[in-house]
Amino acid sequence: MNDTSAQPTRRIPITGYFARIFTGFVSLLKGLKITFHYLSHPSTVVTQQYPENRATLKMAERLRAQLTMIHDDNGYHKCTACHICEQACPNASIHVAERAKPALSKTELDTFIWRLDSCTFCNLCVMVCPFQVLQMKSTFESSVYDQRLLIYNLSRYAGPTSTVLAKQADDEARKNAVEPRSVYDGPTALNGFFLAGIPKELLVTLDRKGEV
Amino acid sequence: MFNSLPNLQVSWEVISVSQRVSTTYGESPILAVVYALAAIVAIILFMSLTAMTLVYTERKVAAHFQCRLGPMRVGWHGILQSIADTLKLLLKEDIVPDQADKAMHLFAPVLCVLAALLALIAIPFSPYLAVSDMNIGVLFISAVSGLGVLGILLGGWSSNNKWSLLGAMRAGAQIISYELSATLSILVVVMFSGSMKFSEIVQSQDQGWWIWRAPVVGLVAFLIFLVASTAEINRTPFDLAEGESELTAGFHTEYSGMRFAFFFLAEYLNLFIVSSMGATLFLGGWMPLHIGNLTFFNQVMDLIPPGLWFALKVSGFIFLSMWFRWTFPRLRVDQLMKLEWKVLLPIGFINLLLAAILTLSGFYFFPGNS
Repeated sequence: MNDTSAQPTRRIPITGYFARIFTGFVSLLKGLKITFHYLSHPSTVVTQQYPENRATLKMAERLRAQLTMIHDDNGYHKCTACHICEQACPNASIHVAERAKPALSKTELDTFIWRLDSCTFCNLCVMVCPFQVLQMKSTFESSVYDQRLLIYNLSRYAGPTSTVLAKQADDEARKNAVEPRSVYDGPTALNGFFLAGIPKELLVTLDRKGEV
Repeated sequence: MFNSLPNLQVSWEVISVSQRVSTTYGESPILAVVYALAAIVAIILFMSLTAMTLVYTERKVAAHFQCRLGPMRVGWHGILQSIADTLKLLLKEDIVPDQADKAMHLFAPVLCVLAALLALIAIPFSPYLAVSDMNIGVLFISAVSGLGVLGILLGGWSSNNKWSLLGAMRAGAQIISYELSATLSILVVVMFSGSMKFSEIVQSQDQGWWIWRAPVVGLVAFLIFLVASTAEINRTPFDLAEGESELTAGFHTEYSGMRFAFFFLAEYLNLFIVSSMGATLFLGGWMPLHIGNLTFFNQVMDLIPPGLWFALKVSGFIFLSMWFRWTFPRLRVDQLMKLEWKVLLPIGFINLLLAAILTLSGFYFFPGNS
């Protein structure tokens, strides 16, 4: 307990009075020097002229703007559908759907659903993943006109299960068996479409009409 | 070698606009009226242009002090930003709080601008460019700029808002306190130059500026004036009247649109007035930089027109003020009062005393020529 009222009022000797004015003055000058350095060195400016410099924009590595699943060159990921990320997610933004892997009577990942609209980017899913499958990326331009488009599917391919893939002759054949699929769709394969169910030609015509 | 040159030093003849009006009135009253109207229009134009330029400069300078870029969108490097903002403020809805004192609420910002405008007429821009060159110019500006605090107090009171009132009261206490120190430091220069007329004060600095010609005393007076004037115009280390972190916006919390624009205008005009006061009293006003009898140097300096000298000095002063604003944190109320009554005022009094002794003994640089 501090009894401040009991403290005697401190008397400052006259030399202390001037010394304090002097040190205060010097510290103010130090502050002025620092700010002048910023003014005279335009390279210290951190602001980016965003829409103009979109091509050269550099975002910080640590920026958490989009959850992604790491796929290797062959399109494989290491997710085992263990649901740990789903349990760690504080606001149920992750849903992991698995499917049967009949040969081994186990399950494997079918769809990894991530809801950007409810995600708080707390990074817990990335931290708990035992296989470092998940990663936060700094791609931040995720605004869309339809809220449903904020529900992502992070597992990028549809098509044959891993057992089927394993029976393929080589990596090239596996790549051909894997079909890329839209980040928005569930198990639907793209079947050569640009967006699920929408062939690219249709999208172009819509664009011409100014509807997209 | 240079001293053998003939003395070509320009002697400045000072003619103010009001003198011009009164001398021409006898010959042709119409011309006199034209002069007077031109002066009025020029002052109003100058007022709005200065405020707009200063706002833009402040935003740019502030941004670069804080590693930002500031306005960049409207025009080249945002140079038209102030025009866009002015248009916006002009077109905004005029909102008056329900319980406010309507007439006072309207009158307060007008009074603030009026005080600044009145002070503007005494500023000597160049030997030929001053609206009025009265024999009590210094006193006039000190008195009239003190009127601005009434506008702030009225604004705070009539808004019927506790933040506004608190901000206004703080502004009142602050400006009244710091006026003392500012006046004490101005008195030093008045004593050295022996006049309160701006043209005579400027011409007394023909041999050098009072900031260094009066040994140490001038510099101390200048520093006191710098601090006190910053406090008087409520700029940041002393912006307790606004205090956005504790009082939302202080005295102008309830103001928006055109009325707020008037307060804003007055704020930047006051910055200009205080800077030109400082430049005129301590840095020689429109007088080119002269050092004693170095004829050649003085002649080279005379090549730069006096109006430009004034502009340069005032810009330097304004930049200093902006530099302070974006570097120093705001003081607490008790620290503010302590600084004035325990530091600035005693030092100001001692300084004034020393200045009196120096003036009487003639112990300053180039005493014979002033």
